Amino acid sequence: MRERSEVNDIDRSAYDFKDSEEGFYRIKEGLTRQIVEQISEEKHDPEWMRQFRLRSLDIYNELKVTDWGPDISGLNMDDIVTYVRPNTKMSAKWEEVPEDIKNTFERLGIPQAERESLAGVGAQYDSELVYHNVKDEVSKTGVIYTDMESALTGEYADMVKDHFMKLVPPTDHKFAALHGAVWSGGSFVYVPPGVKLDIPLQSYFRLNAAGAGQFEHTLIIVSEGADLHFIEGCSAPKYNVANLHAGCVELYVGKNARLRYSTIENWSKNMYNLNTKRALCEDGATIEWISGSFGSHVSYLYPSSVLKGKGSHAEFTGITFAGKGQNLDTGAKMIHIGEDTSSFINTKSISKDGGISTYRSSVTVNEKAKNAKASVSCASLMLDDISRSDTVPAMDIRTGQCDIGHEAKIGRISDDAVFYLMSRGISEEDAKAMIVSGFADPVSKELPLEYAVEMNNLIRLEMKGAIG
Amino acid sequence: MKLNKLPTLTWNFLKLNDAVLDEKITLNGRGKSVIRNIPNGVIVGNGGCDNCGICDPSTLEDIRKLKTGLGDEADSFFESVCDGSLTIRAKRDIKVEEPLCINYELADGDKNAVKQEIIAEEGSSITVIMDYSSKRSDSGFFAVQTKLKAEKGAKIRLVKIELLGRGFTGMDGIAAQAGEDAEIELIQMELGCGKNYVGVDIELDGKRSSFTGNTGYLCINGQKLDMNYYIGHTGKKSVSSLNVTGALRDGSCKNFRGTIDLKHGAKGAKGDEQESALLLSDNVINKTLPIILCDEDDVEGSHGATIGRLSQDVLFYMQSRGFSEHEAEVLMTRAQLNSVRGMIGDEKSVGAISQYLEEAFE
Repeated sequence: MRERSEVNDIDRSAYDFKDSEEGFYRIKEGLTRQIVEQISEEKHDPEWMRQFRLRSLDIYNELKVTDWGPDISGLNMDDIVTYVRPNTKMSAKWEEVPEDIKNTFERLGIPQAERESLAGVGAQYDSELVYHNVKDEVSKTGVIYTDMESALTGEYADMVKDHFMKLVPPTDHKFAALHGAVWSGGSFVYVPPGVKLDIPLQSYFRLNAAGAGQFEHTLIIVSEGADLHFIEGCSAPKYNVANLHAGCVELYVGKNARLRYSTIENWSKNMYNLNTKRALCEDGATIEWISGSFGSHVSYLYPSSVLKGKGSHAEFTGITFAGKGQNLDTGAKMIHIGEDTSSFINTKSISKDGGISTYRSSVTVNEKAKNAKASVSCASLMLDDISRSDTVPAMDIRTGQCDIGHEAKIGRISDDAVFYLMSRGISEEDAKAMIVSGFADPVSKELPLEYAVEMNNLIRLEMKGAIG
Repeated sequence: MKLNKLPTLTWNFLKLNDAVLDEKITLNGRGKSVIRNIPNGVIVGNGGCDNCGICDPSTLEDIRKLKTGLGDEADSFFESVCDGSLTIRAKRDIKVEEPLCINYELADGDKNAVKQEIIAEEGSSITVIMDYSSKRSDSGFFAVQTKLKAEKGAKIRLVKIELLGRGFTGMDGIAAQAGEDAEIELIQMELGCGKNYVGVDIELDGKRSSFTGNTGYLCINGQKLDMNYYIGHTGKKSVSSLNVTGALRDGSCKNFRGTIDLKHGAKGAKGDEQESALLLSDNVINKTLPIILCDEDDVEGSHGATIGRLSQDVLFYMQSRGFSEHEAEVLMTRAQLNSVRGMIGDEKSVGAISQYLEEAFE
């Protein structure tokens, strides 16, 4: 009988701390027309946005919860607080952010990262941004990086109105409609034509309030020939009640532009993460998604790339780690519309300690997408026999002039590989740790160094004994 | 009637969670079978087999509980319209080399549904070839349900050749159960029918049981083929391999769903499915959904798919040898289908397929 090993669960102590909500504005639980109007009023929405919210609420009430995917019956909207405003205004100086909130972000390493490696930072606490700053040299290039509320009424108001929830309409699904009704916070980025940012921008979303929802909206427009790397991070402390994250990310990548969108998602294990992300690529544009899903009780997350322009390209590189009590349904969608488009999906998932990981994807090649090329590769690692891992990859191909490939594998750590490494003098524990680290490597090597370190810390593959 | 429902659902926009047969079905009972080559040691009971006394009632009860890949609604349909079933039984330890052949020759307007059961008793081995054919121009409806039970150490090799006319709607439901060390081999050529629904459910219950599936298809001139394969691994060290290969041309449409379900406790099980689809014209629709469900760590599951046009390298090579693009496509399609046809091992059946393909490529 072989001894079983343990891969330790993610060490969440770095994220699992709570602050007092004293003095915070907290709207009533539930979702009613009155609550939506109240949020709109609190946020001083222009009239079109107020109407948009109310229309979205109607759509939400009409749509049904999906009949596929993980169970979300534990999520009761009547118990969810859709808007919590901390008792501070947004600032461009950390010194002006209230001490406890500032300490939260210090513990998460945001100000340090800003100093060392970022071109700009937005920090959202519950429903509102509390900090937003962009380096002067970046501002001088004409790059706009601001909170959504400012963008909605400022110089770029028309641009926001033209793009807001056009890529992810409220009719897309029930939680997109919910987002349309109660969205708050998030970032607006505009990169002018030809501007290439060498260092990334980052938004960090922290949900502190128990029983609350976070509904930030991220809208990024990368103009022709421009280049941007945007990083999104998120975390929350664990509560005994359900929290909800139904954010929305809309990315417009212009002609010959490139956008890399990296996410390390580390919500607490009481979180329902029902997020929607979508990118639209014009001629010659490139979208690169880097995605690490570690947290949440339940996740539905499938970043979509709409390859509309001729010669546009999309890549999705993702890793999902499902531990105890987690049911993470993640993957990607690629929609080929333009000629000569190409896409590549490469995902890894790890299931342990009763966790459920599902890889779900779709590659759609439309009639006009001549010479489309798509490749999908997904691998799943089972670390014990009480966990579960499923792959559900679909391909819908409607032209003969294309080349589509797909491969998937599910299994455990190979005894042969462990034996080989041990025969080279490496201990069994180290051999297994090395193999699992290698399994995650295609994702971690795509991340900036500090995030790769964070990801490796999150996985924290401390091996004991033998897997088998 | 809803058919070929997935064991786990996915996005509704893909329209792959199930298929819908929306035509009204009125049967006329025409289209009977001819059985040839009944080997020694094999017993065939035709119609109302419950009373023929050739099978152990408990075995019949077991086999009738099996569900086909077509799903509950289709299984209920067969129960409601079929009086009895054709039962074929290989006696214990009887190993038969020569295939038993069942030929359904249908004519224009025939509308029929039949049930078949094949039982291979412990240690036995049997090959059954079933072919369904009609003239190319014929129309009608033909539904066939086939249930297989391979007992300990037994082997069932089932070959299905479907060559019905383009006006036919076909339903082919297969259910199979393999006991300890039992083997089930399924070879299918799905070439005819305007609309064809194929649903296969294999249950590898026994330790070291195995399934090998090879399917070849050709969809041309608006043909619609909808396939659903489910392979459930319950037995320890059970092994499955499914290869589906074919070509689509001229407005045709094909859905392939393939599920390998590695259930909890199936230690040492291995499942693999591969699909290759050659798309020979622009106006075709190919949907592929290869699923692996895994509830056990000590298993290996894999799938792969290659979909698209003829490789540019192959095309260049063929053209450099004097073949036109069309000739190269025909040659490669034949090669793809021949990889399955070559496994049949019955000259008459192979000849019928060759003739069908000749006409198809005219």
